[in-house]
Amino acid sequence: MSLDTRARQHNAPPRIHPNYPRRMRLADSLQILAVVSVALVVAVFLADGGAARISTPADAITALGIVTGLVGTDLLLVMMLLAARLPAIDRAFGHDSAMALHQSLGKPALYLILAHAVLLTIGYALVQPAGFFDEVWIMFSSLPDMPLAFLGVGLLIAVVITSLVIVRHKFRYEVWHLVHLLSYVAVLVAIPHQLSVGTLFREGSLQRYYWLALYAGVAGSIILFRFIVPIVRSLRARLTVVGVDQEARGVVSIRLSGRQLRSLKAKSGQFFIWRFWTPGLWWQAHPFSLSAAPTHNSLRITVRGLGDASSALPRVPVGTRVSFEGPYGLFTDFARTSPRIVLIAAGIGVAPIRSLLETATFAPGQATVLLRSSTVDDTYLVDELAALCRARGAELRIIAGKRAPGTSSWLPGDAVQARITLATLVPKLREADVYICGPRKWTDEVVRDARSAGLPTRQIHFERFDW
Amino acid sequence: MRKRAAAAAATASLSVLAIGWLVGTPAIASLQDTLGGTATDATVSAAASAPVASTPAAAATATATAAPAATATPTPTVTPAAAGITGTFTGSVVATRFGNMQVSVTLADGTITDVTALQLTDKDSRSVQISNRAAPVLKAEVLKAQSAAVANVSGATYTTQGYLTSLQAALDAAGF
Repeated sequence: MSLDTRARQHNAPPRIHPNYPRRMRLADSLQILAVVSVALVVAVFLADGGAARISTPADAITALGIVTGLVGTDLLLVMMLLAARLPAIDRAFGHDSAMALHQSLGKPALYLILAHAVLLTIGYALVQPAGFFDEVWIMFSSLPDMPLAFLGVGLLIAVVITSLVIVRHKFRYEVWHLVHLLSYVAVLVAIPHQLSVGTLFREGSLQRYYWLALYAGVAGSIILFRFIVPIVRSLRARLTVVGVDQEARGVVSIRLSGRQLRSLKAKSGQFFIWRFWTPGLWWQAHPFSLSAAPTHNSLRITVRGLGDASSALPRVPVGTRVSFEGPYGLFTDFARTSPRIVLIAAGIGVAPIRSLLETATFAPGQATVLLRSSTVDDTYLVDELAALCRARGAELRIIAGKRAPGTSSWLPGDAVQARITLATLVPKLREADVYICGPRKWTDEVVRDARSAGLPTRQIHFERFDW
Repeated sequence: MRKRAAAAAATASLSVLAIGWLVGTPAIASLQDTLGGTATDATVSAAASAPVASTPAAAATATATAAPAATATPTPTVTPAAAGITGTFTGSVVATRFGNMQVSVTLADGTITDVTALQLTDKDSRSVQISNRAAPVLKAEVLKAQSAAVANVSGATYTTQGYLTSLQAALDAAGF
């Protein structure tokens, strides 16, 4: 009897966590909505007899120019929603994936808007007839609201260029962010010409109301979820710093105390965007993960002095008021799909791993914690991890050693030579959810190893802590 | 994106596009019916569609016949010119991207009583459609405002600009 049961347990496929199908249904719905929103603006153009106008090549170019403008603007609005911290989007995709999608839409949206400008100029120039640059000047000088629209395109170009990975790291985060905020201006200044120059959204037409409702919805979401909700939550929680504990050189745990923290519904593994109200720090906000399970009146983060802000954090005085946005992220037990769990951390990535280990659902013997570092000494929170592993029946492995130069593995050089991989390190890996937190490149390498071990995407969870 | 979601998104999108197309097609057909299929008729139908009693004076050779009081004795009192101007004045031809525009204005004792569209944008069927929609709106606005300073009719920017420019020229000619 007992033998039979064990055999069945071994052969049974990993139990899917009940949250997963629901989460995927939500993700599907949101994705379908986004795609249909694009189809809808094109349909609006067609319904208005847009295709009927096409009788000459110039008409065709003009029509294409209008469609690229419509689709490009719709994508811009989708991008803004992805960055608006909508709870549904965070629950379905997680902040990381939402922002990755936001980033990947940036260039296509810009290209569509540029195509809109160029195609319409050509289309109008052919009818006039005028040269391309003469036409640009005619549009600029004689059409209402066009100078604003030109400004919008210019701002959009600036925003996308400063966000290219290579260029982006040349700027301080705050400078980049300030430029990025101009995208709101770019979208706003483009509205007047859509309503006055274009015939599609003429006064009193149904499509004008749809278009304006789209803008109102996006603006409302941004105001509500990026401003009102964080302000209300911060005021209600009244978080203050109650202790700063030195964990290692340049690494501190900051303990925060507040009220009614249960209502935040924060979970282990999530992060907040924090703002410490001291004279030197109040103007910067930075994301840090919870390094301990949240309680009804306390939160804890663990921070390493990486950037200019976090290097000042070890000296943050007790009693400092703290405001926040969040909690965000799907790096939690909510995203589980399998009975086993593997937690892999490098460097300060240990923070969310530490809090996950505290509250994740698993039976003794079903969890493995892998801690990766260059030397045994530069690991953080090891004592806490060891104590938690003992208490909960998880296996803790510290993998120390330098990576071999020129190789692309997350493991030390000698481990690579010995053909050690994630699959050989962790028994029954296929029945486990893998959580990875560390530097961007390292994280990518672990994810690749997990994929090549045959792990499906739904069982791989990762968070990168650089911007 | 999962396969099922992608399929659903594609189906929904195609349906939406098809509906858009179906809604758009009758509009095209009816438009072509009203235009009789020829581009040259467009000017005529556009001018004729403006609901005005066309007087001989409104023709291209219309002359400015101001009230004697206004022209003979230019008195330096307040608004002397505007008082009592009567007649029909034709504005200049304004070339726009979508065709030429010209209007005439009828004044009765210093009041704008009528604006007639002599020529409206006629570059293509769409321009005609837009102009025909905008002209009555502009006329009503002008009669209400008693000047060429009225708001742009959205979606008919070129028509608005051409219409108002020609109108202003007519009013200038009248010394209004």
